[in-house]
Amino acid sequence: MICPGCSCLCDDIEIIDNVVRNACRRGAELFLKYKENRATPRVNGKEVDVDKAIEAAIDILKDSKNPAIYGFDTTPVEVQELAVKLAEKLNTYIDDNSSFCLGDLVEIVLKKEVPTTTLDDVRDYAYVIMYWGANPYQSLSRHMSRYTYYPRGKERQKGYEEDRFLVVIDIRRSETSMLAKTNARYIIVKNDLELIDSFFKYMEGKPAKYADDVAAIIRELKKSNFNVIFGGLGLKYGLKDLKPFIDLVKKLNEISPTYFIPTGFHANMRGFNETLFEKTGFVNKYSFRENKSDKSFAFTELLKNDLIDSALIVGTDPVKSLPFEVALKLKKIKTIVIDPRNSLTSRIADVVIPSAISGIEQGGTMVRCDGVRVKLETIEEVEVNDYYVMNKILEGI
Amino acid sequence: MSFAFKLLNREKKLEDCKPLFEDPKYSENRKKLEELLKPLEEATETGLIVKEELCVGCGNCVVVCPVHVADDPHGAGVGRGPTIEDPILRVENGVVKIVNMNKCRRYGKNRILCVACRDNCPSEAISFLEG
Repeated sequence: MICPGCSCLCDDIEIIDNVVRNACRRGAELFLKYKENRATPRVNGKEVDVDKAIEAAIDILKDSKNPAIYGFDTTPVEVQELAVKLAEKLNTYIDDNSSFCLGDLVEIVLKKEVPTTTLDDVRDYAYVIMYWGANPYQSLSRHMSRYTYYPRGKERQKGYEEDRFLVVIDIRRSETSMLAKTNARYIIVKNDLELIDSFFKYMEGKPAKYADDVAAIIRELKKSNFNVIFGGLGLKYGLKDLKPFIDLVKKLNEISPTYFIPTGFHANMRGFNETLFEKTGFVNKYSFRENKSDKSFAFTELLKNDLIDSALIVGTDPVKSLPFEVALKLKKIKTIVIDPRNSLTSRIADVVIPSAISGIEQGGTMVRCDGVRVKLETIEEVEVNDYYVMNKILEGI
Repeated sequence: MSFAFKLLNREKKLEDCKPLFEDPKYSENRKKLEELLKPLEEATETGLIVKEELCVGCGNCVVVCPVHVADDPHGAGVGRGPTIEDPILRVENGVVKIVNMNKCRRYGKNRILCVACRDNCPSEAISFLEG
C-alpha cells in the first residue's frame, strides 16, 4: 500500500491481519481509523442525501459573486485538475495551504531556479545531507530512515557513520538535530540570512560569523559529487526573500553538485502546485479574473479583507489551521466543505459533502515532495468520492 | 559479584539467594534490591526497553540495525520495512515492536554492547538497562 499520510508517500506499507506494518504513527492511524468520525451530508445543519447537498453547493456557487476554491492538498492530482477547471469556469480565486506553507520553495524548483533531484537518488548517492529549517521527525517521520540519512544506497554502502554527512540548521534544538552526532554538524541560527552571508564571506576569504561551520560543510561538500539541501518551513519563514538562498545554492554548485528538495508538507501539496503551475505558470493564490497570482489572492488574505462571499473548501480544515480572527470570517460567508471526516470547519459549514479518503477509498495520482508521481492504491473503493462530487459540481455550473 | 552478574543476565533470580528471604535482618535490603531490579521486568533478554508511548514509528532503529542490514540488504538495509520474517524490530501500528530478540547482537554468548538503535532514536523511546 501507499501511505497518504504525508509527502513521503511511503510505498512499503503492509496490512496483515489488521496490523499495519512499516507505517509511522501518523500513517498507521490513517489506515487503522479510517472508518471513524466520518462526515455526513448536511445542508444548514440538517442531514440530507448527498445529491441534495451537491445541489445546494452548486446553488451557492452560482449565486456567489466572489467565490474561492481552497484546499485539495490531500486529494489526487486528477481531482486537483477538476478544481482548477472549476475555478476557471467560475472565473475566480483558487488557493491551497501552500500559500502559507512551502509553496514558495516548490515554486523555485518548478521554475528551475535551483537544481533538484529525487529521493531515490539521494538514497543512492548523497553524501552531505542538509536539513535547513526542517524537522522531519515531526513532519515526515520516515524521511531520514526511508530515503536520506540512514538507508544504504548504490554508492553509499558503508552506512550513515561513514558514508553520509548530516547538517541540521535550525533555530532550536529539534529532535532531528539530536541525531547530528558523529560526522555531522548542527548549527543554531538566529537569522538564516546571517548563515547565507557567512557562506559567501567565507568563500571570498573574509571573516564570517559561522566560519567554522561553513568551513566544515564546504570541506565535506568537496568530498562528493552529490549533495542535497532539504528546506522546510524554517527556511521559508526565516527569509523574507528567497533570492539569497537561490544564489547560495548556485554558488555551492560551483564547488560541488548540490541539489534542493522542499520538505515537509501535506501528501499532495506539490501535486496542487504542479497542476496549477502547468495551467497558469503559478503555484498558488491565483485569480482567473486577473489572470495572475498575488499575495492578496491567498485564501487567508481574501478572508481577512472580506473579498469573498463563498468558499468551496476541500480536504482541509481552515478553522483548525488558520488564525482564529481569520477563521472567524468563514462564519460570515457561505461555506461548502467536501471532506471524508467531520472537522471544525464542517461544523460551521453551510453545506457538508462527505467524500472518500485518498489512498484508502479512492485511487489516483499523488506527487511526492521530490516531484515523483505515485499511483495510489485502495483498500475499498467508495462511489461518492472527490471525483464524483467535483464532476457533479462542474456539470451543474 | 558473580551472583550479581548472573542476576542481571537472568541466569539467577533474587529468590535464589536464600538468606535474603529467610533472615529477617536482610528484609530491608531485599526490598531495596527488588526496587532496584524492577526495570529488569520490562526489559528484554538483551536489556532493551522500548517505551511505545514515546515512539513515532520513524523506523530509524529498524534501518540502522546492523543485523537487519546484513540479513535484509534489499529491505531494511535500503530503508524499506523488513522483508525477512524474523526481524529484531518492526514498526507495527505506528510504533516499534520487538519481534525476535534472539537475533540481536547483544544476545547469546558472543554478545557485544551494540547501541545503534538507541543512539538513533530521536524520541528516546529506546533504552537499555545499562543506560
